[in-house]
Amino acid sequence: MLFAFCVIGLSLSGKRGRTSYGSGAAIYFVAPFQKGFTHSIRFVKNLWRHYFFLASVAKTNDALKRELSHATERVNQCNETELSNARLRSLLNFRETINRQVVAAEVISKDPSPWFKSILIDKGSSDGLKKSVPVVIPEGVVGLVTDISTHYSKVLLLVDQNSAVDALVQRTRARGIIKGGTAGRCLFKYVLRKHDIVESDIVVSSGLDGVFPKGLRVGTVSNVTRRNSGIFQEVTVIPYVDFEKLEEVLVILNLPRYAPAYYDHFKSGVSER
Amino acid sequence: MTYCLHAFIGLCLIIVQTTIMPCLLLFDSFYDLLVPLVLYLGIFRPVSESVVVILFIGFVMDNLSAGPFGLYVAIYLWLFIGTKWIVTFLHVANHFLLPLVVALGVLLKNLIVLGALVVLTDSRFPDDLAATVGKQTLWAVFTGAFFLISFEHVQKRWENRIGKLFVKKNGDS
Repeated sequence: MLFAFCVIGLSLSGKRGRTSYGSGAAIYFVAPFQKGFTHSIRFVKNLWRHYFFLASVAKTNDALKRELSHATERVNQCNETELSNARLRSLLNFRETINRQVVAAEVISKDPSPWFKSILIDKGSSDGLKKSVPVVIPEGVVGLVTDISTHYSKVLLLVDQNSAVDALVQRTRARGIIKGGTAGRCLFKYVLRKHDIVESDIVVSSGLDGVFPKGLRVGTVSNVTRRNSGIFQEVTVIPYVDFEKLEEVLVILNLPRYAPAYYDHFKSGVSER
Repeated sequence: MTYCLHAFIGLCLIIVQTTIMPCLLLFDSFYDLLVPLVLYLGIFRPVSESVVVILFIGFVMDNLSAGPFGLYVAIYLWLFIGTKWIVTFLHVANHFLLPLVVALGVLLKNLIVLGALVVLTDSRFPDDLAATVGKQTLWAVFTGAFFLISFEHVQKRWENRIGKLFVKKNGDS
């Protein structure tokens, strides 16, 4: 009886894709303690870094100054590009399809199992978060919110085997699905053999999954295998995000709008007539 | 009161393994700290007292993990049932057998998790499966008995303290 109960229960919860029941209560009570512990650990870490590692700080400082001068030069170039981009956009009457409103959140704990990849963040429904909203950092896509309580949320990471993101190769626009793989890598699945993909190609989100805005960086192609048979090629992607060192993340609150710019254009054209 | 003690220990272990352990490089492949607790309950504690605690810690773990809901409750219940069954013909409370019991428990737990991962979702076995399971089992062999003995020690101290409190109360009245 117990065995049958377990198997049926697990099958139902696994196939419905529902991850938890009454998660609000459990997360509500446990998460504050996890937050306290995480803050204490960070305090000790910072103390160690700032007061006991000063010898190496001087060297790092010199290196950083050199990097800063390079970065300043690069920022100037980027500013120029941005200005010209803005001019071109206004000329073409483009508009930004995504008006991103983000909330910064802190990672307070990680998944207790090495086989599943998720994190808990310190923002919840009271901060405007909902289920299935995307989570990112400047480096790239982190994952999406799967469970939520008043002040905390669970985020399924990109590298979890149950996660999937619709993506495309930036250079060739070849489309596929990024799925969590093993050893911190992702698999770029369902990419047709005919598409030209090479190592170090950049993969970005396509925006077609209705969760992640278009153009967010996902990772770089690390390996491409084309077998003699089959219509798809096997592509491995290394995510840009270092999931082991995640401390803060950004949650995008307003999901992308799907009415493209030319649709508005078309509508205004019709009304004018 | 004993329910509260075990639930409290369980919660402490959950917090430690979700916040402190991931920060320590040495312990990145450490086993689930609740396995020794479940084994301890199976070996040393009565069923009525243990089942409630197991359901509670399983529920909390299911909510914190990205795995299918109910997985941890099922794992802990099966570990508990297995331990109760082994106790009927093997004297596992022997301190020399404890490391073996914990190692077996960790192996069984990983077997169920990976089975559920592959059967219930379209996931495949991780590449680092053998290495991770091997490391966890080794950790269990060397440290598992320590946890069981510690739980036993805490339980004894707790019972002594509670006993003294009762005696004092009865003496006052």
